[in-house]
Amino acid sequence: MKIVVTVKLVPDPNAEKRIDNGTKRLVRTGVETVLNPYDEYALEAALQLKEKAGGDTTVTVFSMAPESLKETLRKALAMGADDAVLLSDAGLEGSDVWASSYAISHALKKVGFDLLIVGGLSDDGSTGATPGGLAEYLQAPLVTNARKAEIVDGKLKIERETDTGYQDVTAPLPCVMTTALTFGEPRYASLKGIMGAKKKTIAAMSVSDLGLSHAVGQSGSKTQLLSFAPPPVRGKGQVIEAADGASGAKAIFDFLKERKLV
Amino acid sequence: MKNVLVYVQHKGGQTPKVTFEMATQARKLADQLGGKAHALVVGAGSSQLAESLKAYPLDAIYVNDDADVDKYLLDPVIDYLEAAAKAIGPSLVLVANTLTGKDVAGRLVARLNAGICADAVDFKLEGGKVVAVMPKMGGAAITNCELLDGDYGVVTIRPNAFAAQPGGAGAAVQAIEKPAGKSYGVLVEKDVEEGSGELALEEAPVVVAGGRGLGGPEPFDTLLKPLASALGGAVGASRAAADAGWVPYSLQIGQTGKTVSPSLYIAVGISGAIQHKVGMRSSGTIVAINKDGQSPIAEFSDLVVVGDAFAIVPELTKLVQAAKS
Repeated sequence: MKIVVTVKLVPDPNAEKRIDNGTKRLVRTGVETVLNPYDEYALEAALQLKEKAGGDTTVTVFSMAPESLKETLRKALAMGADDAVLLSDAGLEGSDVWASSYAISHALKKVGFDLLIVGGLSDDGSTGATPGGLAEYLQAPLVTNARKAEIVDGKLKIERETDTGYQDVTAPLPCVMTTALTFGEPRYASLKGIMGAKKKTIAAMSVSDLGLSHAVGQSGSKTQLLSFAPPPVRGKGQVIEAADGASGAKAIFDFLKERKLV
Repeated sequence: MKNVLVYVQHKGGQTPKVTFEMATQARKLADQLGGKAHALVVGAGSSQLAESLKAYPLDAIYVNDDADVDKYLLDPVIDYLEAAAKAIGPSLVLVANTLTGKDVAGRLVARLNAGICADAVDFKLEGGKVVAVMPKMGGAAITNCELLDGDYGVVTIRPNAFAAQPGGAGAAVQAIEKPAGKSYGVLVEKDVEEGSGELALEEAPVVVAGGRGLGGPEPFDTLLKPLASALGGAVGASRAAADAGWVPYSLQIGQTGKTVSPSLYIAVGISGAIQHKVGMRSSGTIVAINKDGQSPIAEFSDLVVVGDAFAIVPELTKLVQAAKS
Protein backbone atom coordinates (compact mmCIF):
# COMPACT_ATOMS: atom_id res chain seq x y z
CA MET A 1 0.00 0.00 0.00
CA LYS A 2 1.26 3.46 -0.86
CA ILE A 3 0.36 6.18 1.62
CA VAL A 4 1.00 9.80 0.67
CA VAL A 5 0.87 12.62 3.21
CA THR A 6 0.67 16.25 2.14
CA VAL A 7 2.51 18.74 4.33
CA LYS A 8 2.47 22.49 4.20
CA LEU A 9 5.37 24.61 5.38
CA VAL A 10 4.16 27.50 7.56
CA PRO A 11 5.62 30.20 9.83
CA ASP A 12 6.18 28.83 13.33
CA PRO A 13 2.73 28.90 14.99
CA ASN A 14 4.28 29.41 18.43
CA ALA A 15 5.78 32.72 17.38
CA GLU A 16 3.70 35.84 17.94
CA LYS A 17 2.53 37.00 14.49
CA ARG A 18 2.91 40.63 13.63
CA ILE A 19 1.99 42.59 10.52
CA ASP A 20 4.37 45.31 9.43
CA ASN A 21 2.32 48.48 9.20
CA GLY A 22 4.40 49.82 6.32
CA THR A 23 4.61 46.78 4.02
CA LYS A 24 1.31 45.21 5.23
CA ARG A 25 3.10 41.87 5.19
CA LEU A 26 3.76 39.33 7.86
CA VAL A 27 7.00 40.02 9.67
CA ARG A 28 9.03 36.89 8.95
CA THR A 29 12.28 38.04 10.48
CA GLY A 30 13.17 35.67 13.27
CA VAL A 31 10.18 33.44 12.52
CA GLU A 32 11.20 29.94 11.54
CA THR A 33 9.37 27.90 8.86
CA VAL A 34 8.09 24.59 10.18
CA LEU A 35 5.82 21.71 9.18
CA ASN A 36 2.19 22.77 9.61
CA PRO A 37 1.36 21.23 13.02
CA TYR A 38 -1.91 19.73 11.73
CA ASP A 39 0.06 17.90 9.05
CA GLU A 40 2.28 16.29 11.68
CA TYR A 41 -0.86 14.55 12.95
CA ALA A 42 -1.56 13.38 9.40
CA LEU A 43 1.98 12.00 9.18
CA GLU A 44 1.59 10.29 12.56
CA ALA A 45 -1.57 8.59 11.27
CA ALA A 46 0.29 7.43 8.16
CA LEU A 47 3.19 6.03 10.18
CA GLN A 48 0.82 4.17 12.52
CA LEU A 49 -1.04 2.64 9.56
CA LYS A 50 2.26 1.64 7.99
CA GLU A 51 3.41 -0.03 11.21
CA LYS A 52 0.17 -2.00 11.45
CA ALA A 53 0.13 -2.98 7.79
CA GLY A 54 3.81 -3.91 7.57
CA GLY A 55 4.94 -5.58 4.36
CA ASP A 56 5.62 -3.27 1.46
CA THR A 57 3.61 -0.29 2.76
CA THR A 58 5.40 3.00 2.19
CA VAL A 59 4.85 6.58 3.30
CA THR A 60 5.68 9.41 0.89
CA VAL A 61 5.55 13.04 1.95
CA PHE A 62 4.39 15.62 -0.59
CA SER A 63 4.75 19.37 -0.34
CA MET A 64 4.26 22.42 -2.53
CA ALA A 65 6.81 25.00 -1.43
CA PRO A 66 9.76 27.06 -2.65
CA GLU A 67 12.88 24.98 -3.27
CA SER A 68 14.68 26.97 -0.58
CA LEU A 69 12.53 25.29 2.07
CA LYS A 70 13.48 21.79 0.95
CA GLU A 71 15.47 20.98 4.08
CA THR A 72 12.43 21.64 6.32
CA LEU A 73 10.96 18.47 4.79
CA ARG A 74 13.77 16.43 6.38
CA LYS A 75 11.87 16.59 9.64
CA ALA A 76 9.06 14.54 8.10
CA LEU A 77 11.61 12.06 6.80
CA ALA A 78 13.25 11.95 10.24
CA MET A 79 9.88 11.13 11.81
CA GLY A 80 9.74 8.06 9.59
CA ALA A 81 8.47 8.86 6.08
CA ASP A 82 10.30 6.87 3.40
CA ASP A 83 10.74 9.60 0.81
CA ALA A 84 9.44 12.99 -0.26
CA VAL A 85 8.29 14.87 -3.34
CA LEU A 86 8.60 18.65 -3.52
CA LEU A 87 6.59 20.63 -6.06
CA SER A 88 8.36 23.97 -6.53
CA ASP A 89 7.77 26.56 -9.17
CA ALA A 90 7.85 30.34 -9.25
CA GLY A 91 4.66 30.05 -11.33
CA LEU A 92 2.79 28.72 -8.31
CA GLU A 93 3.32 31.82 -6.21
CA GLY A 94 0.12 33.52 -5.18
CA SER A 95 -2.04 30.44 -5.86
CA ASP A 96 -5.31 30.52 -3.95
CA VAL A 97 -7.23 27.49 -2.64
CA TRP A 98 -8.69 26.68 -6.04
CA ALA A 99 -5.36 26.97 -7.88
CA SER A 100 -3.45 25.07 -5.19
CA SER A 101 -5.97 22.23 -5.11
CA TYR A 102 -5.88 22.06 -8.89
CA ALA A 103 -2.07 22.00 -9.11
CA ILE A 104 -1.50 19.66 -6.15
CA SER A 105 -4.12 17.17 -7.34
CA HIS A 106 -2.40 16.91 -10.72
CA ALA A 107 0.93 16.33 -9.01
CA LEU A 108 -0.59 13.67 -6.76
CA LYS A 109 -2.02 11.87 -9.77
CA LYS A 110 1.57 11.52 -11.01
CA VAL A 111 2.85 10.44 -7.60
CA GLY A 112 0.00 7.91 -7.19
CA PHE A 113 -1.46 6.67 -3.90
CA ASP A 114 -3.80 4.19 -2.27
CA LEU A 115 -4.43 6.45 0.69
CA LEU A 116 -3.84 10.20 0.76
CA ILE A 117 -3.73 11.77 4.23
CA VAL A 118 -4.07 15.54 4.60
CA GLY A 119 -3.95 17.66 7.75
CA GLY A 120 -7.33 19.06 8.74
CA LEU A 121 -6.25 22.71 8.59
CA SER A 122 -3.25 24.82 7.87
CA ASP A 123 -1.98 27.04 10.60
CA ASP A 124 -1.63 30.10 8.38
CA GLY A 125 -4.42 30.25 5.82
CA SER A 126 -6.92 28.08 7.71
CA THR A 127 -9.58 27.63 5.08
CA GLY A 128 -9.85 23.89 5.66
CA ALA A 129 -11.08 23.64 2.07
CA THR A 130 -8.07 22.06 0.36
CA PRO A 131 -8.80 18.42 1.27
CA GLY A 132 -12.24 18.71 -0.33
CA GLY A 133 -10.79 20.30 -3.44
CA LEU A 134 -8.16 17.56 -3.75
CA ALA A 135 -10.71 14.77 -3.34
CA GLU A 136 -12.90 16.21 -6.10
CA TYR A 137 -10.06 16.63 -8.58
CA LEU A 138 -8.68 13.19 -7.73
CA GLN A 139 -12.19 11.73 -7.97
CA ALA A 140 -11.58 9.91 -4.72
CA PRO A 141 -13.87 9.61 -1.70
CA LEU A 142 -13.18 12.00 1.17
CA VAL A 143 -13.33 11.07 4.85
CA THR A 144 -12.43 13.84 7.28
CA ASN A 145 -11.54 14.44 10.94
CA ALA A 146 -10.45 10.86 11.65
CA ARG A 147 -9.50 10.08 15.23
CA LYS A 148 -9.02 6.34 14.61
CA ALA A 149 -8.30 4.55 11.35
CA GLU A 150 -7.62 1.03 10.19
CA ILE A 151 -7.47 -0.88 6.95
CA VAL A 152 -9.84 -3.86 6.96
CA ASP A 153 -10.23 -6.12 3.90
CA GLY A 154 -8.80 -3.45 1.62
CA LYS A 155 -11.15 -0.76 2.92
CA LEU A 156 -10.53 2.18 5.20
CA LYS A 157 -12.59 2.18 8.40
CA ILE A 158 -12.48 5.32 10.48
CA GLU A 159 -14.03 6.86 13.53
CA ARG A 160 -14.49 10.55 12.75
CA GLU A 161 -15.44 13.63 14.72
CA THR A 162 -18.52 15.51 13.60
CA ASP A 163 -19.97 18.85 14.64
CA THR A 164 -22.27 17.11 17.11
CA GLY A 165 -20.50 13.86 18.06
CA TYR A 166 -18.82 11.11 16.07
CA GLN A 167 -19.43 8.63 13.25
CA ASP A 168 -18.04 5.30 12.06
CA VAL A 169 -17.62 5.26 8.30
CA THR A 170 -16.10 2.90 5.73
CA ALA A 171 -14.55 4.05 2.48
CA PRO A 172 -13.12 2.16 -0.48
CA LEU A 173 -9.48 2.77 -1.50
CA PRO A 174 -7.99 4.84 -2.99
CA CYS A 175 -9.34 7.60 -0.82
CA VAL A 176 -8.50 10.90 0.85
CA MET A 177 -8.51 11.17 4.65
CA THR A 178 -7.94 14.06 7.02
CA THR A 179 -6.98 13.67 10.66
CA ALA A 180 -8.34 15.27 13.84
CA LEU A 181 -5.95 16.33 16.58
CA THR A 182 -7.37 13.56 18.75
CA PHE A 183 -5.70 10.98 16.47
CA GLY A 184 -2.65 11.10 18.74
CA GLU A 185 0.36 13.30 19.37
CA PRO A 186 2.89 13.21 16.55
CA ARG A 187 6.05 11.31 17.43
CA TYR A 188 9.43 12.93 17.90
CA ALA A 189 12.15 12.17 15.43
CA SER A 190 14.72 9.82 16.98
CA LEU A 191 18.44 10.43 16.55
CA LYS A 192 18.56 7.41 14.26
CA GLY A 193 15.66 8.88 12.30
CA ILE A 194 17.42 12.21 11.93
CA MET A 195 20.61 10.54 10.71
CA GLY A 196 18.68 8.28 8.33
CA ALA A 197 16.70 11.21 6.89
CA LYS A 198 19.85 12.69 5.40
CA LYS A 199 20.07 9.78 2.96
CA LYS A 200 16.41 9.75 1.93
CA THR A 201 15.28 11.08 -1.45
CA ILE A 202 13.44 14.35 -1.97
CA ALA A 203 12.29 14.25 -5.59
CA ALA A 204 11.65 17.53 -7.40
CA MET A 205 8.60 18.38 -9.51
CA SER A 206 7.68 21.56 -11.33
CA VAL A 207 4.57 22.88 -13.06
CA SER A 208 5.78 21.68 -16.47
CA ASP A 209 5.59 18.10 -15.17
CA LEU A 210 1.90 18.38 -14.39
CA GLY A 211 0.20 18.83 -17.78
CA LEU A 212 -2.18 21.52 -16.54
CA SER A 213 -4.81 23.00 -18.80
CA HIS A 214 -5.50 26.04 -16.64
CA ALA A 215 -3.17 28.73 -15.33
CA VAL A 216 -2.12 28.61 -11.68
CA GLY A 217 -0.40 31.14 -9.44
CA GLN A 218 -2.02 34.52 -8.88
CA SER A 219 -3.02 34.84 -12.56
CA GLY A 220 -4.95 31.58 -12.45
CA SER A 221 -6.55 32.20 -9.08
CA LYS A 222 -10.20 32.94 -8.48
CA THR A 223 -9.68 35.18 -5.49
CA GLN A 224 -7.45 38.14 -4.81
CA LEU A 225 -6.18 39.33 -1.47
CA LEU A 226 -6.88 43.06 -1.32
CA SER A 227 -5.59 43.86 2.13
CA PHE A 228 -3.83 42.21 5.01
CA ALA A 229 -3.74 44.34 8.13
CA PRO A 230 -3.37 44.04 11.87
CA PRO A 231 -6.70 43.97 13.74
CA PRO A 232 -7.91 47.17 15.40
CA VAL A 233 -5.89 47.68 18.54
CA ARG A 234 -7.75 46.61 21.62
CA GLY A 235 -6.85 49.24 24.17
CA LYS A 236 -5.49 47.95 27.41
CA GLY A 237 -8.49 47.71 29.68
CA GLN A 238 -9.23 48.67 33.22
CA VAL A 239 -7.60 46.73 36.05
CA ILE A 240 -9.49 46.54 39.34
CA GLU A 241 -8.22 45.00 42.56
CA ALA A 242 -11.09 43.20 44.28
CA ALA A 243 -11.01 43.38 48.07
CA ASP A 244 -13.52 40.54 48.35
CA GLY A 245 -15.89 38.44 46.25
CA ALA A 246 -18.83 40.82 46.48
CA SER A 247 -16.90 43.91 45.38
CA GLY A 248 -15.20 42.04 42.53
CA ALA A 249 -18.57 40.73 41.36
CA LYS A 250 -20.12 44.19 41.60
CA ALA A 251 -17.32 45.70 39.49
CA ILE A 252 -17.86 43.12 36.74
CA PHE A 253 -21.65 43.38 36.90
CA ASP A 254 -21.60 47.20 36.59
CA PHE A 255 -19.18 46.97 33.69
CA LEU A 256 -21.41 44.45 31.87
CA LYS A 257 -24.46 46.58 32.54
CA GLU A 258 -22.77 49.64 31.09
CA ARG A 259 -22.03 47.64 27.93
CA LYS A 260 -25.58 46.26 27.89
CA LEU A 261 -24.30 42.70 28.22
CA VAL A 262 -26.64 41.81 31.09
CA MET B 1 -22.47 35.95 -9.37
CA LYS B 2 -25.95 37.34 -8.94
CA ASN B 3 -27.88 34.94 -6.80
CA VAL B 4 -27.13 33.54 -3.38
CA LEU B 5 -27.51 29.92 -2.29
CA VAL B 6 -27.36 28.91 1.38
CA TYR B 7 -26.40 25.34 2.25
CA VAL B 8 -28.41 24.36 5.32
CA GLN B 9 -26.46 21.92 7.46
CA HIS B 10 -28.71 19.90 9.77
CA LYS B 11 -29.35 16.54 11.33
CA GLY B 12 -32.92 15.31 11.41
CA GLY B 13 -34.15 18.88 11.02
CA GLN B 14 -31.97 20.29 13.82
CA THR B 15 -29.78 23.09 12.50
CA PRO B 16 -27.25 25.39 14.16
CA LYS B 17 -28.11 29.06 14.66
CA VAL B 18 -25.67 30.08 11.92
CA THR B 19 -28.18 28.81 9.33
CA PHE B 20 -30.56 31.65 10.23
CA GLU B 21 -27.69 34.12 10.28
CA MET B 22 -26.80 33.03 6.73
CA ALA B 23 -30.42 33.20 5.57
CA THR B 24 -30.61 36.80 6.78
CA GLN B 25 -27.29 37.73 5.20
CA ALA B 26 -28.22 35.98 1.93
CA ARG B 27 -31.12 38.41 1.46
CA LYS B 28 -28.85 41.43 1.90
CA LEU B 29 -26.25 40.06 -0.50
CA ALA B 30 -28.86 39.07 -3.09
CA ASP B 31 -30.41 42.55 -2.97
CA GLN B 32 -27.03 44.16 -3.47
CA LEU B 33 -26.14 41.80 -6.32
CA GLY B 34 -29.56 42.14 -7.91
CA GLY B 35 -30.46 38.46 -7.65
CA LYS B 36 -32.44 36.07 -5.51
CA ALA B 37 -31.76 34.34 -2.20
CA HIS B 38 -32.17 30.57 -2.08
CA ALA B 39 -31.53 27.78 0.40
CA LEU B 40 -31.00 24.05 0.00
CA VAL B 41 -32.16 21.62 2.71
CA VAL B 42 -31.69 17.89 2.08
CA GLY B 43 -31.85 14.75 4.22
CA ALA B 44 -34.31 13.42 6.77
CA GLY B 45 -36.29 16.17 8.51
CA SER B 46 -35.78 18.72 5.73
CA SER B 47 -39.44 19.50 5.04
CA GLN B 48 -40.03 20.29 8.68
CA LEU B 49 -36.92 22.50 8.88
CA ALA B 50 -37.92 24.32 5.68
CA GLU B 51 -41.12 25.42 7.43
CA SER B 52 -39.15 27.23 10.16
CA LEU B 53 -36.76 28.67 7.56
CA LYS B 54 -39.72 30.32 5.84
CA ALA B 55 -39.74 32.93 8.58
CA TYR B 56 -36.46 34.29 7.12
CA PRO B 57 -36.27 36.55 4.07
CA LEU B 58 -35.48 33.97 1.37
CA ASP B 59 -37.07 33.69 -2.08
CA ALA B 60 -37.01 29.92 -2.43
CA ILE B 61 -36.11 26.88 -0.36
CA TYR B 62 -35.20 23.66 -2.20
CA VAL B 63 -36.07 20.56 -0.24
CA ASN B 64 -35.63 16.79 -0.45
CA ASP B 65 -36.06 14.40 2.49
CA ASP B 66 -33.77 11.89 0.72
CA ALA B 67 -32.54 9.26 3.24
CA ASP B 68 -29.33 8.69 1.23
CA VAL B 69 -28.06 12.05 2.51
CA ASP B 70 -27.73 10.59 5.99
CA LYS B 71 -26.71 7.12 4.86
CA TYR B 72 -23.66 8.20 2.87
CA LEU B 73 -21.03 10.69 3.92
CA LEU B 74 -21.40 14.03 2.16
CA ASP B 75 -21.35 12.79 -1.47
CA PRO B 76 -25.12 13.15 -1.98
CA VAL B 77 -25.06 16.66 -0.47
CA ILE B 78 -22.42 17.81 -2.95
CA ASP B 79 -24.45 16.46 -5.85
CA TYR B 80 -27.58 18.26 -4.65
CA LEU B 81 -25.66 21.49 -4.18
CA GLU B 82 -24.13 21.26 -7.62
CA ALA B 83 -27.57 20.61 -9.13
CA ALA B 84 -29.14 23.50 -7.21
CA ALA B 85 -26.31 25.90 -8.10
CA LYS B 86 -26.54 24.99 -11.79
CA ALA B 87 -30.34 25.36 -11.75
CA ILE B 88 -30.14 28.79 -10.13
CA GLY B 89 -27.30 29.99 -12.34
CA PRO B 90 -24.27 32.08 -11.39
CA SER B 91 -24.32 32.38 -7.63
CA LEU B 92 -22.54 32.89 -4.39
CA VAL B 93 -22.81 29.81 -2.16
CA LEU B 94 -22.82 30.39 1.60
CA VAL B 95 -21.75 27.53 3.86
CA ALA B 96 -21.28 27.55 7.66
CA ASN B 97 -17.66 27.44 8.77
CA THR B 98 -18.16 24.20 10.72
CA LEU B 99 -16.40 20.84 10.34
CA THR B 100 -19.03 19.69 7.83
CA GLY B 101 -19.16 23.10 6.16
CA LYS B 102 -15.42 23.10 5.46
CA ASP B 103 -15.69 19.72 3.70
CA VAL B 104 -18.69 20.87 1.68
CA ALA B 105 -17.04 24.15 0.70
CA GLY B 106 -13.77 22.52 -0.36
CA ARG B 107 -15.50 20.11 -2.65
CA LEU B 108 -17.70 22.81 -4.18
CA VAL B 109 -14.59 24.82 -5.03
CA ALA B 110 -13.56 22.06 -7.41
CA ARG B 111 -17.06 21.04 -8.49
CA LEU B 112 -18.11 24.58 -9.45
CA ASN B 113 -14.66 25.85 -10.44
CA ALA B 114 -15.12 28.54 -7.83
CA GLY B 115 -13.00 30.77 -5.67
CA ILE B 116 -13.39 30.50 -1.92
CA CYS B 117 -13.16 32.90 1.01
CA ALA B 118 -13.18 31.12 4.35
CA ASP B 119 -14.40 32.18 7.79
CA ALA B 120 -16.00 35.47 6.75
CA VAL B 121 -17.18 37.87 9.45
CA ASP B 122 -18.31 40.67 7.12
CA PHE B 123 -18.90 41.54 3.46
CA LYS B 124 -18.16 44.60 1.38
CA LEU B 125 -19.92 44.84 -1.93
CA GLU B 126 -18.75 47.49 -4.31
CA GLY B 127 -19.81 47.75 -7.94
CA GLY B 128 -20.96 44.14 -8.10
CA LYS B 129 -17.72 42.85 -6.59
CA VAL B 130 -17.92 40.52 -3.62
CA VAL B 131 -15.29 41.15 -0.96
CA ALA B 132 -15.20 39.05 2.21
CA VAL B 133 -13.60 40.21 5.45
CA MET B 134 -11.84 37.45 7.35
CA PRO B 135 -9.63 37.22 10.42
CA LYS B 136 -6.58 35.04 9.67
CA MET B 137 -3.72 33.55 11.64
CA GLY B 138 -5.68 33.36 14.84
CA GLY B 139 -6.82 36.96 14.57
CA ALA B 140 -3.31 38.40 14.05
CA ALA B 141 -4.45 39.75 10.68
CA ILE B 142 -7.69 40.95 9.15
CA THR B 143 -7.84 40.26 5.43
CA ASN B 144 -10.10 41.56 2.69
CA CYS B 145 -10.37 39.12 -0.16
CA GLU B 146 -12.20 39.54 -3.44
CA LEU B 147 -13.96 36.76 -5.32
CA LEU B 148 -12.84 37.42 -8.89
CA ASP B 149 -15.23 37.28 -11.82
CA GLY B 150 -16.57 33.83 -12.38
CA ASP B 151 -19.90 32.09 -12.36
CA TYR B 152 -19.62 30.79 -8.83
CA GLY B 153 -18.04 31.71 -5.53
CA VAL B 154 -18.05 29.98 -2.17
CA VAL B 155 -17.85 31.73 1.21
CA THR B 156 -17.82 29.99 4.59
CA ILE B 157 -19.44 31.99 7.35
CA ARG B 158 -18.20 32.25 10.93
CA PRO B 159 -21.01 31.50 13.40
CA ASN B 160 -22.10 34.45 15.52
CA ALA B 161 -20.67 37.07 13.16
CA PHE B 162 -23.94 38.05 11.43
CA ALA B 163 -27.34 38.86 12.89
CA ALA B 164 -30.31 36.53 12.37
CA GLN B 165 -33.44 38.54 11.60
CA PRO B 166 -36.74 36.94 10.59
CA GLY B 167 -38.76 38.78 7.95
CA GLY B 168 -39.86 38.67 4.33
CA ALA B 169 -42.99 37.39 2.69
CA GLY B 170 -42.24 33.71 3.21
CA ALA B 171 -40.15 31.70 0.79
CA ALA B 172 -41.58 29.26 -1.72
CA VAL B 173 -40.73 25.71 -0.63
CA GLN B 174 -39.90 23.66 -3.72
CA ALA B 175 -38.96 20.00 -4.12
CA ILE B 176 -35.59 19.40 -5.74
CA GLU B 177 -35.09 16.22 -7.72
CA LYS B 178 -32.47 13.70 -6.69
CA PRO B 179 -29.51 13.93 -9.10
CA ALA B 180 -29.71 10.84 -11.30
CA GLY B 181 -27.27 8.04 -11.92
CA LYS B 182 -25.04 8.43 -8.89
CA SER B 183 -23.57 5.76 -6.65
CA TYR B 184 -21.97 6.58 -3.34
CA GLY B 185 -18.95 4.96 -1.74
CA VAL B 186 -18.60 6.16 1.83
CA LEU B 187 -21.10 4.46 4.09
CA VAL B 188 -22.02 5.92 7.50
CA GLU B 189 -22.29 2.88 9.78
CA LYS B 190 -22.82 4.61 13.08
CA ASP B 191 -23.77 8.20 13.90
CA VAL B 192 -23.56 9.25 17.54
CA GLU B 193 -24.66 12.55 19.08
CA GLU B 194 -22.70 13.75 22.09
CA GLY B 195 -23.56 16.50 24.55
CA SER B 196 -26.86 17.16 22.80
CA GLY B 197 -29.02 19.81 24.42
CA GLU B 198 -25.95 21.84 25.36
CA LEU B 199 -25.18 25.03 23.53
CA ALA B 200 -22.32 24.57 21.07
CA LEU B 201 -19.27 26.54 22.13
CA GLU B 202 -18.78 28.24 18.75
CA GLU B 203 -22.39 29.38 18.69
CA ALA B 204 -22.71 30.65 22.24
CA PRO B 205 -23.20 34.42 22.62
CA VAL B 206 -21.38 34.24 25.96
CA VAL B 207 -18.44 31.99 26.89
CA VAL B 208 -17.22 31.49 30.44
CA ALA B 209 -13.84 29.74 30.24
CA GLY B 210 -11.63 28.29 32.95
CA GLY B 211 -7.94 27.52 33.13
CA ARG B 212 -5.18 26.19 35.31
CA GLY B 213 -6.18 28.62 38.08
CA LEU B 214 -9.28 26.54 38.80
CA GLY B 215 -7.12 23.74 40.15
CA GLY B 216 -9.29 20.79 39.15
CA PRO B 217 -12.37 19.54 37.29
CA GLU B 218 -15.06 20.36 39.90
CA PRO B 219 -15.07 24.18 39.57
CA PHE B 220 -16.07 23.85 35.90
CA ASP B 221 -19.37 22.37 37.06
CA THR B 222 -19.87 24.15 40.37
CA LEU B 223 -18.42 27.58 39.59
CA LEU B 224 -18.47 28.24 35.82
CA LYS B 225 -21.56 26.36 34.69
CA PRO B 226 -24.01 28.33 36.90
CA LEU B 227 -22.56 31.63 35.65
CA ALA B 228 -22.65 30.48 32.03
CA SER B 229 -26.27 29.34 32.42
CA ALA B 230 -27.27 32.62 34.04
CA LEU B 231 -25.71 34.52 31.11
CA GLY B 232 -27.21 32.16 28.54
CA GLY B 233 -23.77 30.96 27.46
CA ALA B 234 -21.46 27.97 27.39
CA VAL B 235 -18.42 26.78 29.34
CA GLY B 236 -15.01 26.62 27.68
CA ALA B 237 -11.46 25.87 28.83
CA SER B 238 -7.81 26.59 28.18
CA ARG B 239 -5.44 23.95 26.87
CA ALA B 240 -3.91 23.53 30.33
CA ALA B 241 -7.31 22.48 31.70
CA ALA B 242 -7.98 20.10 28.81
CA ASP B 243 -4.45 18.60 28.97
CA ALA B 244 -4.91 18.01 32.71
CA GLY B 245 -8.04 16.00 31.89
CA TRP B 246 -10.35 18.34 33.82
CA VAL B 247 -12.62 18.84 30.80
CA PRO B 248 -13.00 17.06 27.43
CA TYR B 249 -10.96 18.43 24.51
CA SER B 250 -14.22 19.50 22.87
CA LEU B 251 -14.25 22.45 25.31
CA GLN B 252 -10.73 23.60 24.54
CA ILE B 253 -10.39 27.09 23.08
CA GLY B 254 -7.22 28.13 21.31
CA GLN B 255 -4.84 27.27 18.54
CA THR B 256 -5.28 23.51 18.76
CA GLY B 257 -8.88 23.82 19.93
CA LYS B 258 -11.86 25.90 18.95
CA THR B 259 -12.05 29.49 17.82
CA VAL B 260 -14.84 31.47 19.43
CA SER B 261 -15.99 35.05 19.06
CA PRO B 262 -18.89 35.58 21.47
CA SER B 263 -20.10 39.04 22.41
CA LEU B 264 -18.85 38.38 25.95
CA TYR B 265 -15.89 36.23 26.99
CA ILE B 266 -15.15 35.73 30.67
CA ALA B 267 -11.75 34.14 31.37
CA VAL B 268 -11.45 32.66 34.85
CA GLY B 269 -7.99 31.66 36.05
CA ILE B 270 -6.55 31.73 32.50
CA SER B 271 -3.11 33.27 32.06
CA GLY B 272 -3.71 34.08 28.39
CA ALA B 273 -0.82 32.39 26.57
CA ILE B 274 -0.62 33.03 22.81
CA GLN B 275 -2.06 29.56 22.17
CA HIS B 276 -5.25 30.56 24.02
CA LYS B 277 -5.35 34.14 22.79
CA VAL B 278 -5.63 33.18 19.12
CA GLY B 279 -8.82 31.24 19.85
CA MET B 280 -10.73 34.05 21.53
CA ARG B 281 -9.23 37.46 20.92
CA SER B 282 -11.90 38.50 18.42
CA SER B 283 -14.56 38.25 21.15
CA GLY B 284 -16.66 41.40 21.66
CA THR B 285 -15.89 42.13 25.29
CA ILE B 286 -13.26 40.27 27.29
CA VAL B 287 -13.36 40.14 31.09
CA ALA B 288 -10.64 38.36 33.06
CA ILE B 289 -10.79 37.22 36.66
CA ASN B 290 -7.28 36.41 37.78
CA LYS B 291 -5.08 36.31 40.86
CA ASP B 292 -2.30 38.01 38.97
CA GLY B 293 -2.93 41.41 37.40
CA GLN B 294 0.33 41.08 35.43
CA SER B 295 -0.57 37.88 33.54
CA PRO B 296 -0.60 38.13 29.73
CA ILE B 297 -4.40 38.10 29.56
CA ALA B 298 -4.44 41.60 31.07
CA GLU B 299 -2.87 42.85 27.81
CA PHE B 300 -5.97 42.12 25.75
CA SER B 301 -8.85 42.22 28.25
CA ASP B 302 -11.33 45.07 28.54
CA LEU B 303 -11.65 44.52 32.27
CA VAL B 304 -9.34 42.62 34.60
CA VAL B 305 -10.52 41.93 38.12
CA VAL B 306 -7.66 40.84 40.34
CA GLY B 307 -8.97 38.63 43.10
CA ASP B 308 -10.18 35.21 44.17
CA ALA B 309 -12.34 33.65 41.46
CA PHE B 310 -13.86 31.23 43.96
CA ALA B 311 -15.29 34.21 45.87
CA ILE B 312 -16.13 36.47 42.92
CA VAL B 313 -17.84 34.08 40.49
CA PRO B 314 -20.67 32.89 42.81
CA GLU B 315 -21.46 36.49 43.75
CA LEU B 316 -21.49 37.51 40.10
CA THR B 317 -23.80 34.59 39.29
CA LYS B 318 -26.22 35.82 41.97
CA LEU B 319 -26.18 39.37 40.58
CA VAL B 320 -26.87 38.15 37.03
CA GLN B 321 -29.66 35.85 38.21
CA ALA B 322 -31.24 38.66 40.24
CA ALA B 323 -31.09 41.02 37.25
CA LYS B 324 -32.85 38.46 35.09
CA SER B 325 -35.78 37.80 37.41
